[in-house]
Amino acid sequence: MTETLSKALQNKLLEANIKGEISNLVPLTGGASKEIWRFKVLTNIDTKEYILRKGSGIEGPLAIKTSDEALLQQEVKKIKAPVPEIVAVSSLEEELGDSYIMKFVEGESIPRKILRDTEFKEALSLLAFQCGEAIAKIHEVDISKLNYLQEKTPIDQLNDLYATYESFNQPSPVFEYTYLWLKDQDFGDTKSSLVHGDFRLGNIIVSDKGLESIIDWELAHIGNPFQDLGWICGNSWRFGQNEKVVGGFGDLEELLEGYNSISQFKVNEDLVRTWQVFGTFRWGVICLIQASAHLNGSINSVEKAAIGRRVSETEIDIVDLLFLGGK
Amino acid sequence: MIFDKPSSVDLLAAVSHFLDTKIKSEVPAHLAFKLRIVENVLNIVSREIENGDELSDEVICQLQNLIESDTPSIETLALLIKDQKINLNDQDLKDLLVTLSKNKIAVDNPNYSTFKKLIK
Repeated sequence: MTETLSKALQNKLLEANIKGEISNLVPLTGGASKEIWRFKVLTNIDTKEYILRKGSGIEGPLAIKTSDEALLQQEVKKIKAPVPEIVAVSSLEEELGDSYIMKFVEGESIPRKILRDTEFKEALSLLAFQCGEAIAKIHEVDISKLNYLQEKTPIDQLNDLYATYESFNQPSPVFEYTYLWLKDQDFGDTKSSLVHGDFRLGNIIVSDKGLESIIDWELAHIGNPFQDLGWICGNSWRFGQNEKVVGGFGDLEELLEGYNSISQFKVNEDLVRTWQVFGTFRWGVICLIQASAHLNGSINSVEKAAIGRRVSETEIDIVDLLFLGGK
Repeated sequence: MIFDKPSSVDLLAAVSHFLDTKIKSEVPAHLAFKLRIVENVLNIVSREIENGDELSDEVICQLQNLIESDTPSIETLALLIKDQKINLNDQDLKDLLVTLSKNKIAVDNPNYSTFKKLIK
């Protein structure tokens, strides 16, 4: 399998004028839905490392095409937000499939390592502010060039999530309650922006200096920008460090300080809390989507089966936020 | 039950032990991550066999007091909330949703931070 892949990579890299021998092609632990490979290219001059990110061609209902992720990152790069440099893009019909090749970025993406290892201690103290700044930059991207992304208001998104939940025929009293609660909330008056959609540890690369790169753009869309701020505060993304509201490493004040230092939209803590409930509900529905791919027989995957039992994590988080004074 | 020992829970524990002591050190990094998921799945099944009935009964009992039905079910409650045929501000309803969520996570992932915080 790696030989065929290696050949396809070589051909694709030739298009980008990168001629060399591919070596050390290894799969990395990626998300549940994409293949990620790391490899080296030995040219006459030097050896460089790259990452291949490859979709299956069958995307979930919320995900964009992998090749569109690449186009999007090229736009984001223009406003000097930290994203990897894309070197080649392949469409589904090509030999390499729906995928792209990017330059390898030095650093760490595994959340528990970042939160635990002493080398990141100093970086973690800056990270919430830096994430706030980076999220604000993403929201400044010119959306007129992003016509391959769907635009959705918060209520449209909420209704879509609810319809998806309902389609799985697994009634949840907590989700029913959450839907009604969310329908009554104010999501903040702002203009439509690029939303990363999954900005959190696991999807950013961190070095000992702090935030290096934002990766994994598959849930990007056009919508209310405050969604990204609520998402990273969800307890699902604190990796056990629940006293640190922002991603398990920072405080909400630091995140908002970073965001408000750049953004034209000013945001307050109450609004972030509302979006935190929204994000938790959204992650619950994504878990249902992932599990359904296993349950309906399209993929036999223990990983996807197991994620069905993570829905209850989002339910306990929601009741904690709504009834028990959780943060 | 007509079955001999080991019990289903004991069998699952034996498999977990085997994976942990003999297999874990043999698999490459990208599979080690999946192996951890497999071990988690075995633990979910084991907890559900051991405590599932009791945890479900507690919720159904609380539900019976709330909706006065002879056949109370999670589906019925979900529908009552959806149609707003139940007072959404009722403290008993909120308490029930808390019990339901706690009892589900007690099987699915008792190490989850919010659960650990709430049972302290």
